[in-house]
Amino acid sequence: MLNLEKVTHVYPNGTRALDDVTLSIPKGMYGLLGPNGAGKSTLMRAIATLQTPTSGTIRFGDPTGSHPAIDVIAEPERLRRTLGYLPQDFGVYPRISAQDMLDHMAVLKGIASKADRKATVETLLHQVNLWSVRKKMLAGFSGGMRQRFGIAQALIGNPGLIIVDEPTAGLDPEERNRFLNLLAEIGENVVVILSTHIVEDVSDLCHRMAVLTDGRVQVEGSPQELIRATRGRIWMKVVDRAELPDVRERYEVLSTRLSAGRTVVHVLSDRDPGDGFTAADADLEDVYFSTLAATRAQSRRAA
Amino acid sequence: MLIKIAVFEFRYLLRNPLVWITAAIFFAMIFFSMNLEGWELGSEGGLYRNSSYATLRNSLMFTLMFMFASASFVANAVIRDDETGYGPIIRSTPITKFEYVIGRFLGAYAITAACMLVLPIGSLLGTLMPWANPASLGPNRITDHLYAYFLIALPNLLTHSAIFFALATITRSMMATYLAVISFLFAFFSLQEGLVRPQLNAAVAIGEPFAARAVKDAVRYWTLAERNAMLPDFSGALLYNRLLWIGVSVLCLAVAYAVYRFADRGMSKRERKKLKAAQREQAPRGTPSVERRPDEGRALPSPRHGNPALRALMWLRVKFEFRQVILSPAFPVLLLFGMFQTVFALAGRSPEYQPEYPTTLSLIPEIAEGFRLALMVVAVYYAGELVWRERDRRVHELIDAAPIPNWAYVVPKTMALALVLVSVLLCNVSAAIALQLSEGFTDIELGKYVLWYVLPNSFDMLLLAAVAILVQSLSPHKAVGWGVMLLFMLWQELNRTARFVNHNLLNYGETPSMPLSDLNGAAFFWKGAWTVRLYWGALAVVLLLVAHLLWRRGTEIRLKPRLVLARRRLAGAPGLVGAAALLAFAATGAYAYYNINILHGYRTKEEAEIAAVDFEKRFGKYKGLPQPSLEEATLDIALDPYERRAVTRGRYLLRNLTAQPIADLHVSLPVKYGLDLTEVAVAGARQVLNDEKYNYRIYRLARPMQPNDTVLLTFETRRWHRGFRNASQDTAILENGTLLTEEELIPVLGNYYPGLIQDPETRRKYGLPELPAQPKLEDLSATSKVSFPNGWIKKFDITLSTAADQTPLAPGKKISDVTRDGRRTARFVSTAPMRLRFSVQSGRYAEKHRKHRGVDLAVYYHPRHHWNVDRMLDAMAASLDYYEPNFGPYQQDHFRVIEFPGYRGYAEAFAGTIAFSESAGFTGQYNKEDSFDFVSGMTVHEFAHQWWPGQMAGAEMEGYSVFVETLAQYSAHMVMKQMYGEDQIRPYLRYELHRYLGGRAWETNEPPLARVGSQSYIAYRKGAMVMYLLSKRIGEDGVNRALRNMLARYKWKGAPYPRTLDLIAAFRAEAKTPEDQELITDLFERVTLYDLEVDAPTATQRADGRWDVTIPIAAKKFYATGDGVETETPLAERIEVGLFTAEPGSDAFQQSDVIMMERQPIRSGIQTLKFVTEKRPAFAGVDPYNFYIDRDSADNVLPVASPGSAK
Repeated sequence: MLNLEKVTHVYPNGTRALDDVTLSIPKGMYGLLGPNGAGKSTLMRAIATLQTPTSGTIRFGDPTGSHPAIDVIAEPERLRRTLGYLPQDFGVYPRISAQDMLDHMAVLKGIASKADRKATVETLLHQVNLWSVRKKMLAGFSGGMRQRFGIAQALIGNPGLIIVDEPTAGLDPEERNRFLNLLAEIGENVVVILSTHIVEDVSDLCHRMAVLTDGRVQVEGSPQELIRATRGRIWMKVVDRAELPDVRERYEVLSTRLSAGRTVVHVLSDRDPGDGFTAADADLEDVYFSTLAATRAQSRRAA
Repeated sequence: MLIKIAVFEFRYLLRNPLVWITAAIFFAMIFFSMNLEGWELGSEGGLYRNSSYATLRNSLMFTLMFMFASASFVANAVIRDDETGYGPIIRSTPITKFEYVIGRFLGAYAITAACMLVLPIGSLLGTLMPWANPASLGPNRITDHLYAYFLIALPNLLTHSAIFFALATITRSMMATYLAVISFLFAFFSLQEGLVRPQLNAAVAIGEPFAARAVKDAVRYWTLAERNAMLPDFSGALLYNRLLWIGVSVLCLAVAYAVYRFADRGMSKRERKKLKAAQREQAPRGTPSVERRPDEGRALPSPRHGNPALRALMWLRVKFEFRQVILSPAFPVLLLFGMFQTVFALAGRSPEYQPEYPTTLSLIPEIAEGFRLALMVVAVYYAGELVWRERDRRVHELIDAAPIPNWAYVVPKTMALALVLVSVLLCNVSAAIALQLSEGFTDIELGKYVLWYVLPNSFDMLLLAAVAILVQSLSPHKAVGWGVMLLFMLWQELNRTARFVNHNLLNYGETPSMPLSDLNGAAFFWKGAWTVRLYWGALAVVLLLVAHLLWRRGTEIRLKPRLVLARRRLAGAPGLVGAAALLAFAATGAYAYYNINILHGYRTKEEAEIAAVDFEKRFGKYKGLPQPSLEEATLDIALDPYERRAVTRGRYLLRNLTAQPIADLHVSLPVKYGLDLTEVAVAGARQVLNDEKYNYRIYRLARPMQPNDTVLLTFETRRWHRGFRNASQDTAILENGTLLTEEELIPVLGNYYPGLIQDPETRRKYGLPELPAQPKLEDLSATSKVSFPNGWIKKFDITLSTAADQTPLAPGKKISDVTRDGRRTARFVSTAPMRLRFSVQSGRYAEKHRKHRGVDLAVYYHPRHHWNVDRMLDAMAASLDYYEPNFGPYQQDHFRVIEFPGYRGYAEAFAGTIAFSESAGFTGQYNKEDSFDFVSGMTVHEFAHQWWPGQMAGAEMEGYSVFVETLAQYSAHMVMKQMYGEDQIRPYLRYELHRYLGGRAWETNEPPLARVGSQSYIAYRKGAMVMYLLSKRIGEDGVNRALRNMLARYKWKGAPYPRTLDLIAAFRAEAKTPEDQELITDLFERVTLYDLEVDAPTATQRADGRWDVTIPIAAKKFYATGDGVETETPLAERIEVGLFTAEPGSDAFQQSDVIMMERQPIRSGIQTLKFVTEKRPAFAGVDPYNFYIDRDSADNVLPVASPGSAK
């Protein structure tokens, strides 16, 4: 559905935010994982028509369908008609209530008739659980409430492409669940790109995913595939804190986690490292961290 | 630590773009004021641009302008930490409150002080530029700049910085601080206006925070030479002022320190209340998170993209933008500011002593000019705010990703801006109307406000806003956009005065002027103004279209990707709109070009200059050529006011009054534009030259005219105002209120051209010879020429026809007046000789007549301007009553005052007529206690011109204007004295003295009265003073007898014409004593100044109940040279000394308050006069009525102290 080909973006200050990104994103939930500063938001904005990449093409649409695919860079207007976008960080107008602002957004998205707008606004306010505060000024909303408003506006008008950039930041666990369920429901028929640095979001929901670091796609595939590919390379051991520096010195440590006062270490190794390490049941987090580790190693070699 | 905090603050503010923008603007202003023509900061001719006075004045002016910037700096220093939330971090460090508060202030103050350094630097550099005119610059004196910087600028900056710092500390609000600045400025200016009463001078000079008044007072009557090179002593009011305000500043800082709470402020009462209310509202709703709606999961409606959606979108966006603008806190502030500004502009609207009825017509230009700059700032500021709103609120990623076209930003934002502008303008209007009603003026003309003010101004501002919107949509940052717009406005303002580019079709947003009048409405002038407005409007549409095409969406700031998209976006409706706009642009442009360039032969300033040079080079050689004089003239003028056309056919009987034969007749037009000489025929002569470009023809007589021979000349001229000009519209022929003078109608004999280039610099540049100076008084050959062309005309017969609904008026006795075939024709014939200075007028007038002394006195006026008609008739009657017995009979059977539109704002005397502008008396309002009867004053003055120069005129040489203005002003004062009594004439004399001293302050070479040139401040003002004192000394009868003697010799006589020397001789014949003879010399032949003052008079009661009065008097007398250098000379004259029970010149003063008034010998130096009186005097004075020219006229009278309290 959404095809990115060799998308590269260099900011005027020389930062290479996207480097030759080629992705093919099908219908359904698609996770985009990466650390802060990996270029996720730039990529999201490029897809959302808010940033023209320096080079590359982005196309949206089913080539077999009746409508020709949208060339996002040349015809941003066409994409915007079917786009729902939740930016990573956004503000609100002063002196306007949640309901009025959502109504406003509905008009902007082409919901012209009053009745349609009313239905849209009411449904969405309920869905994101803002109904009771619909008349409060948006400017007075807490971070989580504001985020829910952002989600609501992204869903107006049944978009065919939904881009959500770090949507769960600031949500409490219950809200997060609600939101992810909502996305999953919608994501059956449309393209949903979920950018996040929280691995769980992706592992819970996404059929496919990619890990982006340094503006480059490091790995791409379904979470299961990726986990499978990592199987046998992740080893764990419980150590004391004092031993940690030594372990870091000797192994490629992926993650450390405290458990009952001691530290559980995951390391990456193609062979059994011995030394008390046991094979770990790899999960998506390990995939992610091993990818990051690989990138680090790569850049060390390059440097 | 204090220093470190101050330094940090200083460096922090250095990164604030406002600092740099302010400094850059100020630098540009001062820099170019030194070297750019037409960009002076003050308008005092002759003053060096870098003179001491200009340096002080600039310093004062810039500290006032700097107030907004410095308020922002100091307020930022105190509010910043709370706004950013960084405060607790800072305050938890071990710095003390004193270090924090005062350190911050010092840093911010240091920035303002540093910014102000651009003044000396900019002006010094400015003087060094190669294109600077050395004649306009004096030596640079570092002491001037030190004085201005340390004694004026720094204390002023300290004062307002400290005040606003304290205010910001108390209010903790930027907006409140700005409001305070506005109110402060408003109060400052309105108090300045209000406190002009001389009694308050000393108090105001000390109490006014910026010492502007103290400086002004100190140099008030300084001559040019003094202003150029001298600084006022730093003492007296100036010193006390500085000390007072430094004290106030320290106090403000102490208050700020005391008020500032170092611990966290917590929530304010209001905030707490708000929170509680919010909590109450939410409480009963329970926990909504478990609520579930049955329809959850229902499919949402899908968008429908099409015209209905676009319409809804448009409507919504407009509504939304309006709402955002109206609800923003800045908006009411702005409206209030608009009101204040209007009231302020209108408070000082009337010239000194000349209050006017607040007619809509008179208010509109005042509010327009007073508010223009503020409106420009509003337009540019709001354009930035509106274009950047989404990004500033960080909603741009939400909105920009929505499927809305770019015009859904551009159009609603433009409309919101229009709303702001119209609202502000309507606020101006409502303030103006409130003022009208408050003065009891109920003739409110809403239509005029809308058509003449709101519409044109909002349109013009939208033109500017269109540029601002485009610039903002392209610029990478709001501040950059504002900066670019500031430069753009600076350029426009520079060009407004300097006219580097003059053609309205090349000056974005400039339009031909639309002069206004109650008689004539906006006439046809609106056509030109609106044609060019539409022309620029079409371009503005193109600019907005470009903004639409290139609108910034999302985070994209580069232009290139937008350009790529723009090309595609142009297809369809935008392309059509663009094409239509360009077409309209071209069409209106072509039409305007046709009017300005083809119909009216537009010339640039330089082209006009070259034409004048060309004319002079071709025909200058004929200047002074002997020509016959006009003896009889018959004119037939067909005026078509609605077609704006006048065709004049005329016949001249010319007589050779010179002593030699004349072979060639030179026929030319006195003005070079607007009038065409279509036909000329001279009996018995052939044409030898016909220069159509300059309307100059030469005819050679077959037989030269011998002395006293006559010849007949016939001609036809045509005037046809079509379309409109680039600027200064032709206001001679009008639909209602036409005023045509002879210069605008008929040819003259000889080379008479008032448009010669006067500026010596320019003449040199074009290789023209220097203009000859005015002939000296001693040059007897000059007495052969009178100071106006052609001498006395013996017979004048004029037929004027006009539209049937108008009254035709021309000089002379009306012989016939018939209306036939839609034309009204009247014939007028003169009954006495007249000079060739007349007006023909036509309009839809109301008229009022009064027969007095056998003369038909008449006022022709616009029916709505009825206020002063009776007053004018009274003044005319009083004039006749004085002039006829004292000077001799009036020469006509009629005298007419005729109103004309206020495009020209004066009254002028013509033969038997005063053409009185609607803005110069018809709307004057004189029922107030503190104003002069200015309408009567003007009427009697202009009436006196029927004698001077209507019966006797001086030779064209030094002193000629004494025969015109001095005598008319003297006559007027005598009539006013008759009308109001001598007590009431004193304020008029004071006014004359003030105007004379004020005028000579800018003089470069002041002649004595007998040799006056074109200086009106001498001929009118000093002349009036001189004649009044003369009438006190040789007697009113003596003066009038002398004048009658002059008339007996010169009335309607040809050459030789009289000189001032003849007039002085006539006065001397009436002077009985050597003292009076000496006085006449001092008054007419020297520049003489007195300094008379009373010092602490006392009164002690004697045993017999009477009073011993002691008056110490200090006296000096000076002679001044032309450039203002004074030399003291011994004084020994008998001057009035008076004792009064009330202060002379005050409202309560009457004749009965005079205890004693007698002339006493006064000599140079200090002397004490003693008197014994019956009543106790309250005031004592020397020259108490200000007959003498005295630079300090306020110290002539002082209260008399009681015995005990005398020093």
